Amino acid sequence: MQNNKLDRELIPIFYIVGRMSFSKLFFIAVLSSAVLFIQCEKKTPAESNQVVIGISADVQTFNPLFAFSVDEGSITELLYLGLFDFRWDEENGDLKSYPMLAEHWEWAKDSSSIKIFLRDDVYWTDGEQLTTDDVILSFDLFSDPEVNSRLYGTFRNMYTDESNHIDIKKSFKEISKFALTVYFPDNSKPKLNEMSIPILPTHIYGKIKRDELNTSETNFNPVSNGPFKFLRWNRNQNITLTANTKSFLYKPENISELIFKIIPDYTSRTMQINKGEIDLMELVKTEDISDIEKNQSFNFVSVVGREYDYIGWNNIDLESLSKKNKIEPHKLFGNKNVRIALSHAINSQEILEEYLLNYGEIAVTPVSKIFKKYYNPDIKLYDYNIDKAKKIFAAEGWRDTNNNGTLDKDNTEFRFTLYFPSGNPLRNYASTIIKNNLASVGIEMKIVNLEMGSFIDNLYEKEMDAWMAAWYIPIPVELKPYWYSDLEMTPLNFVSYQNKQIDTIIDELEQKISDERKKELYFKFQEIIHDDQPVTFLYWIPNITVYNKRIKNIHITPLGSITHCWEWKISD
Amino acid sequence: MKFKLKIWQLISALWLLIILLQFNRLIELAVLWIKYFLLCFNDFGVAISLLDFKLLDSLLALIFFIVIPLLLISYRRRIKFLNYKLNFSNGVIIILLITFLMAPIITSENPDFQKNLSVTKHLTPLSKVKVLHLKIEDNYESTLLNKFLIYKREIIREVFDESIIYADSMGEMAPDKIIYYQKNIMKELPVEKLIENNGIPLITTKTFLLGTDEFGRNIFTRLVYSLRISLLVGTGAVLISFLLGITMGFIAGYKGGLIDTVFNRFAELFLAFPVIYLVVLILALFSSSLIAVVIILGISGWMSLFKIVRGEVASLKQKDYIQTAKLLGIKTNRILFKEILPVIIAPVIVNLIFQFSNVILAESALSYLGLGAGDSYPSWGAMIQSGQEYITKAWWMIIFPGGCLVVTLFTANYFGRRINKFFNPRLDK
Amino acid sequence: MNNKFSKAVIKRLISSLITLFLLISLLFILIRISPGNPTQKFISPELSPEIAKKVAEDFNLNDPLPEQYVSFVTNLIRGDLGISYNYRMPVIFVVWEFLSFTLVIAAISFLVQIIASYYLAVYSVQKQNKTTDRLISNLSLIFYSTPSFVIGVILIYLFAVQIDLFPTSGFVSLDYDSLNFFEKILDKIHHLILPLITLSITGIALFYRYLRDNLEDIYQQTFIMQLRANGLNENTILRKHVIPNAIGPLISVAGIELGILLSGTLITEVIFSLPGMGRLTIDSILTRDYPLIIGCTFAAGLLMILTNFFADLLKLKIDKRLLRGNVI
Repeated sequence: MQNNKLDRELIPIFYIVGRMSFSKLFFIAVLSSAVLFIQCEKKTPAESNQVVIGISADVQTFNPLFAFSVDEGSITELLYLGLFDFRWDEENGDLKSYPMLAEHWEWAKDSSSIKIFLRDDVYWTDGEQLTTDDVILSFDLFSDPEVNSRLYGTFRNMYTDESNHIDIKKSFKEISKFALTVYFPDNSKPKLNEMSIPILPTHIYGKIKRDELNTSETNFNPVSNGPFKFLRWNRNQNITLTANTKSFLYKPENISELIFKIIPDYTSRTMQINKGEIDLMELVKTEDISDIEKNQSFNFVSVVGREYDYIGWNNIDLESLSKKNKIEPHKLFGNKNVRIALSHAINSQEILEEYLLNYGEIAVTPVSKIFKKYYNPDIKLYDYNIDKAKKIFAAEGWRDTNNNGTLDKDNTEFRFTLYFPSGNPLRNYASTIIKNNLASVGIEMKIVNLEMGSFIDNLYEKEMDAWMAAWYIPIPVELKPYWYSDLEMTPLNFVSYQNKQIDTIIDELEQKISDERKKELYFKFQEIIHDDQPVTFLYWIPNITVYNKRIKNIHITPLGSITHCWEWKISD
Repeated sequence: MKFKLKIWQLISALWLLIILLQFNRLIELAVLWIKYFLLCFNDFGVAISLLDFKLLDSLLALIFFIVIPLLLISYRRRIKFLNYKLNFSNGVIIILLITFLMAPIITSENPDFQKNLSVTKHLTPLSKVKVLHLKIEDNYESTLLNKFLIYKREIIREVFDESIIYADSMGEMAPDKIIYYQKNIMKELPVEKLIENNGIPLITTKTFLLGTDEFGRNIFTRLVYSLRISLLVGTGAVLISFLLGITMGFIAGYKGGLIDTVFNRFAELFLAFPVIYLVVLILALFSSSLIAVVIILGISGWMSLFKIVRGEVASLKQKDYIQTAKLLGIKTNRILFKEILPVIIAPVIVNLIFQFSNVILAESALSYLGLGAGDSYPSWGAMIQSGQEYITKAWWMIIFPGGCLVVTLFTANYFGRRINKFFNPRLDK
Repeated sequence: MNNKFSKAVIKRLISSLITLFLLISLLFILIRISPGNPTQKFISPELSPEIAKKVAEDFNLNDPLPEQYVSFVTNLIRGDLGISYNYRMPVIFVVWEFLSFTLVIAAISFLVQIIASYYLAVYSVQKQNKTTDRLISNLSLIFYSTPSFVIGVILIYLFAVQIDLFPTSGFVSLDYDSLNFFEKILDKIHHLILPLITLSITGIALFYRYLRDNLEDIYQQTFIMQLRANGLNENTILRKHVIPNAIGPLISVAGIELGILLSGTLITEVIFSLPGMGRLTIDSILTRDYPLIIGCTFAAGLLMILTNFFADLLKLKIDKRLLRGNVI
């Protein structure tokens, strides 16, 4: 450090600050804080008739073609209606269809075609009227491989070409501006819910090049036909939808504005709903329910039976599949008794009790309880029993012969890695407990946490020995994509489970059979799956939605919390 | 009133404390040693194959425990630092070191051990649970090896334990069964299942010193083992920085010219850069594991050391005695060690201490963000991250690891400052 | 004199450009040696085939390595960083949206740090070695040692949960749009208080120590005694003689502090859910949005190089002695 004085011509920041007297600065500080504290009132949604929903992540698009996430799906469904409306029939455990954009429809006697008559009072937000052209174009776009929408490839019951693109000429015939006939190929089993796609405007999307749809500006300023229209979007902060007064669903006494507030952090979301800054939030953790119950202003609804967690044991040996293209049972998990022993060794009951606080239910079969007709109540859980598990392992030849604490057989140690997608605290919690559970029978399990994209890639490529994931089950019941033996046809059968009996059952279910027979088949299906244990079923996860009591006329069903939110009313 | 204690007195006090509190544990470990020796004599091959990290750790801890008083007694006069005055930072450092070396003695549990979540989840500090000790069926042949294994399993705890059950409280005693409560659910056991001590079934009490986390794991144990990880990562990374920095500094200072300029630019780049972005990027591109974290943190810390070494080497290079040495033909290595090293030792040590504290801070920040060493190792940062979820319910999950972090970092910084003052004394007014 | 000055500026400029170049090369090397398909780092399977093709062309992904390197460097300089997977927009736009927030909060925090540490240091050095001085000194060391996430979490607990004084997260309130201009500003400030405190405390502690040590050293020099003997009062001595001497080294520390500030914003934004570049980085890492991760890192590096360049210029202006030679 030098002793000489430096040039004083220049005025560094400190110099300026140093020149101001302390008292001046102090005064300014006090003044600003005073103003700040005046501002300190609680902010609640100022107008009534406005509902604020907290969501965990921002959306990337308002175009239903590319609405991949659950939130994107719910929001685009409010903007773009479909031909039919579906409500959940609690008693029968089934979907019931109602008219929406379609006023009424007539099936042909042999179900080979359907005549659909549209409403004539539906207008797009820019004033144009919704016509048959819009319907036909929407089917075109959703099935076009160039567009690669989220529903691409799913129109199996319609006339399609080799690239799974719907053949427009064969499938649709326009009767009038508001009516059309849809034709289906022979031997197809068309269902109404497969045809209820969001309808898009021809006068906007017909004019954009198909490969530019993904990045088009209209995705962020949508022209829509639904009960709500897009008002504004502050990225990563909030999305505001306002009631579409021209919609046929509009009622002035219902809510007028719907705001989605983006709060990625779960704790912040719960704090905000407690403070009244948001009115509704889904996926509440079970341990927060007691706090919410204390707060008299909230209701909560727990919907169980849409999603279950499971541990997938790869039934076949991956190496022999990739190298020799032969299907051989997996060295560790190929044997069904071993899988049963693993189910005995995992204490899913404890996880359900301690983490989910008994909200949710133990899962024993892939058929959900909400399908009241088909659920087999006699299937019993493989209870948590370490001794039983150890005996089965010993009977199958797994013993600790080299005293290192791990079971082994034929020079193979019982050691594997469990993968699961990150970001789910329940799975983080469960994985630790399962690791310890299995350690007590002598199985060494490593935990690897992958992010969702790579996890899904690995699932499809069948590169993992064991994983923990969830299935969000479709409504109505569908078994084929998950449990059918033809591995080429059913890419969702990630464990590569194969059983001829199951195949016969599934094939028969696709025919037209009596309800009695259907029930028999579903029951048998569940018995066989239970016996074979291709995966270890863990628990049905509750989706707990908390909402402010001021929201009336809200129905939370397995279909979702904010479906039909245009019917909500506010009463203070 | 100032305490004029000396370091060796603190060490002795801690030693006595350990004996008092963990006497049982010490005996257990000693017996383990004896059994292991017997096994060695009997069947050397098997004994060696059984030697894994946990066993070695426990055995070494006992050795340290025995060696320390011997050291104190014989070398007390001779080793200077044992006679230094005790102050806050010295004391903390001693406590940290002792905890590091003798962790298996200080805490007998496994940091990942969990059982009976309904009873043990989220317990407040100093809560007690009742422990029912079950009899274990003994189907094994009683060879020496099996006896050893069974004993080892008791002593070196795993993440599971079949022989105990936790309960909140006990019910009335009946002659043939035991009634106990787990979270208000009544359960019962026939008396024969429990180990008996003079005819009375064995039911002890366990105190969780600092409470438990959301998995019912003992926080105190996790703190101790996280300390080991932090110190290991710190030492490893600092070692890497040291080697990197000295080598590059010496080469740059000695050779000069283009290499010098290039290395300087590199150093500027790293110094200018917000390192956490780079670390996070690298951990994202490659996977995150303990080794990766150590290497990354080591690589991100070489700059300041580099500057010191290079500066000194560059200035010394001109000095006559170095030139003479070179002319005399003394190898470069010897010049480095004999002439340059003693000069730069002082600032290097200070720098290393600060670097150590930075690394510990960085490691905890990374595990807080979820990019740390992984979940097979407990870490303070990770404990704070899981604690944040339960901030309104379980304040102890944040306070204790946070406190440990603050104390450790504070001590490291304070110690660094003192050493700095020691090497560069200033005239105090 | 002007000539020498511009010479030094040019030297500095070249040095910064070389550093920038090294940074880009480092990024390129990291991308290539990391596991996984390098193409995957630029193109996600979810992008439409047209966009994927365009990106592949822009970055010459199908060409041999040297050409890839050249196109990578040129692209980065031009500002083309690829297309983000999540946002399906060019990375540069995404980063720009979030960068402005981070810059503002970093600038405010920097000012707060300087002002606060200045007053603390001056106050402290005037009461040398008395209890207050020792207290502030030790407190500063404690705050310096506490990680920012610990401070942030404790602040949230105390001031947002227990006492309902500040909001827990976010940048603007719900009815932001219905506020008038003045209220809008106050609303933003209200949300930023806790994050600012979290961000600034460590820096204040650091600056305070440094400044105080410098000031103490200067006070002990003989020329101060001379000035006192001449009859100047303490205040004038402080303002006209002590402070200017302490500035120089401080500016270099300030330059490095900006780097620490950028890292600090990363953690603070995650804790408080603020829409800044730090949170963008973490989110993009969790979703493996590689073009965005690389873009954020590049932006951070570029920022650092720029600020250091300007800090060096400032230092040059202040200390003209540095112009004479050893500018390394």
